[in-house]
Amino acid sequence: MMIPFIPSWADKYIDYWEAIRKRNLWLIKLRYGAVIVLFGFLMSSELILGLSFSKTQNHVLITVNIVILLYNIFLHWVRRYLKCIPGKFNPLHFSLVQMLFDLTALGLIVYFTGSIETPLFMLFVFHMIIGSLILPGVVMYAVAAVVISFFNILTFGEYLMLIPHYTVHGLLSEPLYTNIKFIIAYDVIFSFVMTVSVFLANKIASQLYKIEQQLVESFDKLEAAENEKQKYIIGIVHEIKSPLSVVHSYLDLILKEFLGPLNPAVEDRLNRAKASSSEAIQMINDVLKISRLRLLDEIASEDLEVEKILSEIIEKVSIELKEKEISFRFVDERKTKRIIRGDKFLMEIAFSNLIGNAIKYVEVKGKVEVIIKDVEQHIEIDFNDDGIGIPEKDIKNIFTDFFRASNIKHKQYEGSGLGLAIVKQIIERHGGSIKVESPSRLGNIIKPGASFYIMLPVASADK
Amino acid sequence: MAKIAIIDDDLDILDASSIVLTSKGYEVITATNPDDGYKIVKKNKPDLIILDVMMNEPDDGFFLAQKFKKEKFNIPIIMYTSVSKTIGMDFGINEMVPVDDFVEKPISPEELIEKVEKLLHSQVGR
Repeated sequence: MMIPFIPSWADKYIDYWEAIRKRNLWLIKLRYGAVIVLFGFLMSSELILGLSFSKTQNHVLITVNIVILLYNIFLHWVRRYLKCIPGKFNPLHFSLVQMLFDLTALGLIVYFTGSIETPLFMLFVFHMIIGSLILPGVVMYAVAAVVISFFNILTFGEYLMLIPHYTVHGLLSEPLYTNIKFIIAYDVIFSFVMTVSVFLANKIASQLYKIEQQLVESFDKLEAAENEKQKYIIGIVHEIKSPLSVVHSYLDLILKEFLGPLNPAVEDRLNRAKASSSEAIQMINDVLKISRLRLLDEIASEDLEVEKILSEIIEKVSIELKEKEISFRFVDERKTKRIIRGDKFLMEIAFSNLIGNAIKYVEVKGKVEVIIKDVEQHIEIDFNDDGIGIPEKDIKNIFTDFFRASNIKHKQYEGSGLGLAIVKQIIERHGGSIKVESPSRLGNIIKPGASFYIMLPVASADK
Repeated sequence: MAKIAIIDDDLDILDASSIVLTSKGYEVITATNPDDGYKIVKKNKPDLIILDVMMNEPDDGFFLAQKFKKEKFNIPIIMYTSVSKTIGMDFGINEMVPVDDFVEKPISPEELIEKVEKLLHSQVGR
């Protein structure tokens, strides 16, 4: 069991680990940069700044730089296999290891570039600040204490001639390491700056953490409230659906003349009543669908081939396509048929909603096309049509619950305004995104049409 | 003609289903709760059972179906559901839900008749 090094709130907070992982990578990249800068400095300092290093200095500095590069490559490699498991070797320990390596290397560089005479000591402060942002205060105070002691011993040791001094020739006109007043002033200030840096950075970090924690808590509360709301909606809507089902069942069997013949006037009104109750039931089903989706903690996760799901849906709507004489195109532009992971049933709902909408809103002899594309680590599916399109002022709202665009509200198009909200919900639950454009690429001035672009992440091989 | 038992706590659904099925010449017996349902099935040995998934308790229908299965009644069961499959509660026919088919409320007469005939027909062939 290793010392966990974890702020108490971070255990259940997955983003924290992601942040640390990212920061680790960032530091690794920064270190590559530092290696390049240091090499450049060593190569050019003599020429440009007129500095000269002794043979020993040159050897040590180049060696240290190579060692930094090597351990950085090593760290870069290790990082990939690092798991975020509290209690085991995790990114926090990894950060500490990185810092200890860096401080050791920096110590050597500082010593061989003149100890008290080198401006590179400032990099110590930089390390304290970065370290304090991720590691617990105690650890950082300990590290700071070690660095301060090291620096004090070094400067006094050189003053007392106990430790050999390495001057960078051409940097200063007068040596500083023999000036006791300067050494004392310098060491006091250095120790003070180091300690205060750790203190302040820690303070800021812990305050940030606290605020973040409060945010997480509020978010949990909001989510719980949202769940309550959805349960409430499901409960109520369900209670409404039962009696409505009875009404609908009776209307249906009367209309089918199970209770005897009907006179045409009665039949006509009953048909209207049935149409209304159908609409109400459809809306209730949509509401239930959406609420249930929002409550679902986990969706099924199986390998899905989008082209197959789409083909099946297209097969199902082929009659409608023929009836409306729609020119329909289904193109799979991908080179390899990569798969996604998700719930087949939900995907079917999403796709058939979009295809259904396209068919619903194009005129007779209209155009509808579905295109599958590869976009890096995503599969893009475009649904284009040349139907009535979506007015510009409505486009930002079309994924909102119960929203219906202004150009369809008073026309013959039926619908609850929940279809696209459901689609969006489903796509987002699969880690994807959906975008809409109107006019579409098939559209013109009279029939602008709409395009829906769905992006779904490709299933990675290691899952 | 075949005998069908309908078990549902909603009297109107019982009534509507009975009208549809008797019009096709089936003999219909009904019960409004799981206990009575069990009794009439045991006593009358119907050829088909229609069962509502929710009665007093949300899972009454499931438990009753499991009981029939466990006691080897060997009678096909149609289950009425109100939570539609399209909502994402796809029950599926399996060991946990030992029923032969589902009919979603509101009940469409044609669908009901079709499913009843299909099951009774396959039963004759068994």
